[in-house]
Amino acid sequence: MSEPATSAALLEMSDIVKTFPGVRALDGVRLTVAEGEVHCLLGQNGAGKSTLIKVLAGAHQPDSGTISWRGAPVTLGTPIAALRLGVATMYQELDLVRSRSVAENVYLGHEPARFGFASRRRARSGTAELLARLGHPEIDPDREVGTLSAAGQQLVSMARALAYRARLIVMDEPTAALAVDEVSNLFRGIGELTASGVAVIYISHRMAEIREIGDRVTVLKDGATVAANLDARTPSSELVALMSGRRVETAFPSGTRSAAAHTAGEQSDEVLRVSGLGRRGEFADIDFTVRAGEILGLAGLVGAGRSEILETVFGARKPDTGQVFVAGRRIRAGSVPVAVQAGIGLAPEERKGQALQLDMTVAQNVTLASLARYSRFGFTRRRAELLDARSKLTELDLRPADPRRGISTLSGGNQQKAVLARWLVHGCKVLLLDEPTRGVDVAARAELYRLIRDLADSGVALVIVSSELPEVLGLADRVLVLREGQQLAERTASELTEAEVLDMVMEGSAG
Amino acid sequence: MSEVAREVSGGAPGSDTGREPEPPTGGGGWSFRPDLRLIILLGVLVGLCLVGHFTRPDAFFTEGNLSTVLRLAAAIGVVSIGMTFVIITAGIDLSVGSIVALSSVWMTTVATQSYGPAVMVLCALLVGLGCGLVNGMLIAYGKVVPFIATLAMMASARGLAERISGRQTQVVRDTGFLDFFQATMFGIPVLVWMFAAVFAVGWVLLNRTTFGRRTFAVGGNAEAARLAGINVKRHIALVYGIAGLCCGIAAVMVVARASSGAASNGLLYELDAIAAVVIGGTLLSGGRGTLVGTLIGVLIFTVLGNVFTLNNLDTDIQNIAKGAIIVLAVLLQYRSSRGHQSQSSG
Amino acid sequence: MTRVPAHGRRSFLMAGGAVAAGVVLAGCTSNTEPEADNDAVAAGQGDNAEPGKEVTVGFSAPAADHGWMAAMTKNAQAQAEQFSDVTFEATEGSNDVNQQIAQVETLINQKVDVLVILPFDGKALTQVGRRAMDAGIPVVNVDRVFDTPLAYRTWIGGDNYRMGVNAGDYIAAELQRRNVGNPVIGEVAGIDSLPLTRERSNGFRDALQRHGLEVRHRVAAQFTPETGEQQTANLLQAASKLDALWNHDDDQGIGVVSAIENANRDEFFMVGGAGSRDMMDRIKAGNSVVEATVLYSPSMCSSAIALARLLGQAKGLGDLAEHEIPANVTTYSAVVTADNVDEYLDIAFDS
Repeated sequence: MSEPATSAALLEMSDIVKTFPGVRALDGVRLTVAEGEVHCLLGQNGAGKSTLIKVLAGAHQPDSGTISWRGAPVTLGTPIAALRLGVATMYQELDLVRSRSVAENVYLGHEPARFGFASRRRARSGTAELLARLGHPEIDPDREVGTLSAAGQQLVSMARALAYRARLIVMDEPTAALAVDEVSNLFRGIGELTASGVAVIYISHRMAEIREIGDRVTVLKDGATVAANLDARTPSSELVALMSGRRVETAFPSGTRSAAAHTAGEQSDEVLRVSGLGRRGEFADIDFTVRAGEILGLAGLVGAGRSEILETVFGARKPDTGQVFVAGRRIRAGSVPVAVQAGIGLAPEERKGQALQLDMTVAQNVTLASLARYSRFGFTRRRAELLDARSKLTELDLRPADPRRGISTLSGGNQQKAVLARWLVHGCKVLLLDEPTRGVDVAARAELYRLIRDLADSGVALVIVSSELPEVLGLADRVLVLREGQQLAERTASELTEAEVLDMVMEGSAG
Repeated sequence: MSEVAREVSGGAPGSDTGREPEPPTGGGGWSFRPDLRLIILLGVLVGLCLVGHFTRPDAFFTEGNLSTVLRLAAAIGVVSIGMTFVIITAGIDLSVGSIVALSSVWMTTVATQSYGPAVMVLCALLVGLGCGLVNGMLIAYGKVVPFIATLAMMASARGLAERISGRQTQVVRDTGFLDFFQATMFGIPVLVWMFAAVFAVGWVLLNRTTFGRRTFAVGGNAEAARLAGINVKRHIALVYGIAGLCCGIAAVMVVARASSGAASNGLLYELDAIAAVVIGGTLLSGGRGTLVGTLIGVLIFTVLGNVFTLNNLDTDIQNIAKGAIIVLAVLLQYRSSRGHQSQSSG
Repeated sequence: MTRVPAHGRRSFLMAGGAVAAGVVLAGCTSNTEPEADNDAVAAGQGDNAEPGKEVTVGFSAPAADHGWMAAMTKNAQAQAEQFSDVTFEATEGSNDVNQQIAQVETLINQKVDVLVILPFDGKALTQVGRRAMDAGIPVVNVDRVFDTPLAYRTWIGGDNYRMGVNAGDYIAAELQRRNVGNPVIGEVAGIDSLPLTRERSNGFRDALQRHGLEVRHRVAAQFTPETGEQQTANLLQAASKLDALWNHDDDQGIGVVSAIENANRDEFFMVGGAGSRDMMDRIKAGNSVVEATVLYSPSMCSSAIALARLLGQAKGLGDLAEHEIPANVTTYSAVVTADNVDEYLDIAFDS
């Protein structure tokens, strides 16, 4: 199965151990990467992937173990040393300077210079060339990075890695923020890189991607390598079993939808109605209704206006046209407190940036939207807060179910559960979920899917946005298909196939 | 991504990706947990007191000296309490010294004094609160960054104070006012009781009320607070109002101490207050802070001045020591907080 | 939308309250003192009292940010009004050196007859003083002296060293009169980084040394009542017993006295500095620790205007043999005590 290692090992890591006070983050990791291969790294959140990446990037020093580069032992003492050696890292949360231009970001720290002066012209032309190689020549090197979409920023980050003439590029979930057409662009770019001998360490939770572009796979669990250099075509179920130590039926919740709930949804009351909603330059004429116990999915590419619609319904953006009704009553648009009061909750796209108070405990995060209820004459009812939070944590199976724990110590999946708990404690009628499974590992995903379905069954009306089509189709009862801010179709989910939706959302776009 | 994400407070909440998770210290802890950083700070204070004791065993630990120290700490202490709220919301208030000056002048004009002590105090409180709310409105609704908005207030409040006073010292003629505020209750100066009361109210407000919780939330991650339905703008306006009100209270204290109001009062209070808050362990980036730390910070600086004067040392050496203590305290706390980091993200 | 929402009514009430509070507060800014103010002005002597040639006097000073400086500006104005033959051209006071230079240049371009300059920084304004002199405009330099005599026709100012000496001599004599052995002497200085504070302290120290005495406790305030109170409160803790205290500046003196009264201390006597009305009133009343103050009087600014007028009219000082105004006039730092306070009340300034 696995092909013989004909090419020389570019990177060889063996018995890497890294401990933090109280935690053994890496406990004997082995990793061998050959030149020109795409080496996939798999493992649940907490398996040690992030720590391993930081060791490779020179940000952490291992306690023991050896690292060899082209057969010679090396130490990656600092991030600069790692870069000089030829290891570039693209972090999951991009380290870009948002207020500077694309070209400045691409050449940040190694600006092309002539006689000691930074040459802006050469930086611009170099950037344009790199972006063209990535299949995105339309991005202006002079544009301010902060004004680009998430996908655009990801591309800039890739271009930066390319600009370092790296021999090994570490990519941490590069497709997490990308839409379907952009994923294929990225893969084309990776293909070109490997053809020219550059190796890629590729981290993703999406099995399909690993099958598509991976050469070999190394699986981590609990800080140790449990399987190395597997063939990338190894069946998903086998890989997931290695990662979790238990068999997970499937990553996608086909069949979680209960027929009973579905039919009940048809008859139940309309909870959320949106009519004629529009925001100039973002979306227009959006009409939909969601009934109690129903899940509505919004499908479309990144930039189709999905997140913007959710945020507008939630009052975080002010609509230019249209109205929002909750349980038949029109609510004042453009005010979050009004929407929350009316019973709408939002689990936003960027968990860390938009949802969590990282310095607070789990309980404090859970009650953040219902503080008025936990207040008596202005004083916080801390006992009630703790009790309610604990019962919701147990209900959602959030682990550890300790409401006094700092939320920053939780894994992505459990943090997402805490965000859901926030709106459950508030008792909302409408829940808007934006990319609910981003950064959540496979096992935890299945759990989240079940939870979301349970919520619907308990009578909550849900609207869900996801970049993963099977997720939308698998979870939702009905699907609204969007393209460039336009509502193309509204169908029952079971009548749609992935191919049909892809066809609709990509038709006419320059994909 | 979201156009409104960082419209207030200028911070970049939750974007410090490189930081390892550490146990939360802000957010109004659930139970009293002895915080290593506070203990270090307390050690610095105790150390200073011991230096005072061993260099002047006859003078330092006397009732008169300790109550002098506390009385001198009262005004800057009250200002620092307001400043702590502001800095927890990731803001800054450069105008506190000028608001103290304006309030002290406004409450001691001939016209105000003619209405008696109660009106004088009320006047100081209203002027302070008013200036603070103007700061808050400019920052929250006018979208002026706190540094600039309060810089403008710093200039114009002192200018107005100079205009009203004609740049002259306004002596308090009302003996009733002085008798009350210069008196002692149970052997402790009234100003110290006031300081203790403001501290107690501030502590409860920050740690035991939903207002305090919202303050931490707004500073820790303004966008997350907004998306949880918190009225972030109104809250920020109120927090600057509190800071202004504290300045009004401090102005009453300053006037009581100096028996006069003047446009030159409260000079450099902003820097002293920020220094006390920062060495107290409150993060300039917002979201975390303790009033106990601020209190210890204020006491450290006041005791420092007292010990230096007791030993008849020059002000220049005192300033050097002050700078050294700021750096030392912040470095010690930084090191101890790094030592605390245990978890790693997988 | 016919119903007024509750929060709307509440904000309406709050807004109304705010407006009402604002109106009340605005009424509290009035500062008309009931007492009449008497400014230190000099009448001309003999022939000099007669109106002569019309003279335009240009005046430039720093911002009047404390009582003493405010009195300097006020005195200049009052003195100019006293003379019917003087036109007074004053510029807005500024602590920005460049702005003051620009103001003086404007006055030069206006071709005033005489310039009276109280520089914020003597060194920095030397060049522009020189330019005025070169343009044929005599300059009266007040207090803070220019780098070169070529930049002024006449300098008039106080003597900080002598101020310290006189304070020291007075305190030594008083202590001897009271028969105090091994006395404890305290000093509350002004802003320590200013040369004038160092000169005052040096004079004080030298004078005490001549009498075999020394300063036991010294603190430095910032010329403001608040800092005066703060530093003195600490000083009183450092010295459980004091015999005499010199405070450099009567502006901060209000705070110094407040601290002393707050600490219930009266075992010593205090000497002030500059000569404010508040301190002179206390000396006269004789019911506080304040027994004397050493002058550094803003009346010098009145004199500067009188000198400027005489320069413009090419007259000399009546009693001197010289036909010309002297190039240097140093005012004397007299010690004002209960015995002579009535003679000096006319030059007392409001701190």
